[in-house]
Amino acid sequence: MTIQADIREPLKDALSGVAANVYDHVPESVIAPFCAITYSSPMMEPNLINQAVVKVKLNFLIQAAVAMLSNPAALDNLEQLIISILGAMPSGYIVESVSAPGIISVGASDLLSASIAVSTYYQETE
Amino acid sequence: MATVITGRDVSFTIDGESYSAQTTSATLSNEHTVETYQTLSGRVHRAIDDQWTFDVEMLADWGAASSLNEAMWSACESAPNTTLEVVLTAATGATFTFDVFPVFPSVGGTAPDAQTVTMSFVVDGVPTESFS
Repeated sequence: MTIQADIREPLKDALSGVAANVYDHVPESVIAPFCAITYSSPMMEPNLINQAVVKVKLNFLIQAAVAMLSNPAALDNLEQLIISILGAMPSGYIVESVSAPGIISVGASDLLSASIAVSTYYQETE
Repeated sequence: MATVITGRDVSFTIDGESYSAQTTSATLSNEHTVETYQTLSGRVHRAIDDQWTFDVEMLADWGAASSLNEAMWSACESAPNTTLEVVLTAATGATFTFDVFPVFPSVGGTAPDAQTVTMSFVVDGVPTESFS
């Protein structure tokens, strides 16, 4: 079993109900609105005793982005997307804070984006 | 090079169940009581008592299959005076075995952090060490 199969894919599935394209990685190209599961730093924190068991805290950023239309419409859409993501977060996740919105450029498009910091634990299994 | 062991070297079982995969901290400590007597020939010190304590901090696992927190709660509820054996390994070659009385785990947490449980066990008697 892997982090992709045990953590990122299930998280992506849990977020599939939001009104956006959901990616469990940074996609090569995106279609807005979208949310993508990426890592923050530190990526992993081994903070439990017993080195015989590999269990780490994983720190993710869920990048939410909407098309940069008019300022008020984009901000409203981003707020709604963030709230829907927060409502869809499954149990077992520490949901921390949401960053201030900012404009990112993807290809020829400008997007309004914000990051939701979440974390969870992963234990290596056979 | 100095010898360094870390908390990652620590592991332990309680009543045969491994708690290590949920635990962030496990510490066996001793309160060593020494009385001081003022005699005609000067001050005399005598060790009169030892109270050992085993403190555990762990991620809560209420509701999980084979929940360690639920097992400890049930043990404390059903047999509060029956000790449970703990085997604590500080590092390879240094193992401590002792008995503790069960305690009720703490319940609840603070948003947005993970729920954690702290348990402070009173040790029955004196730990038995095994150094190799």
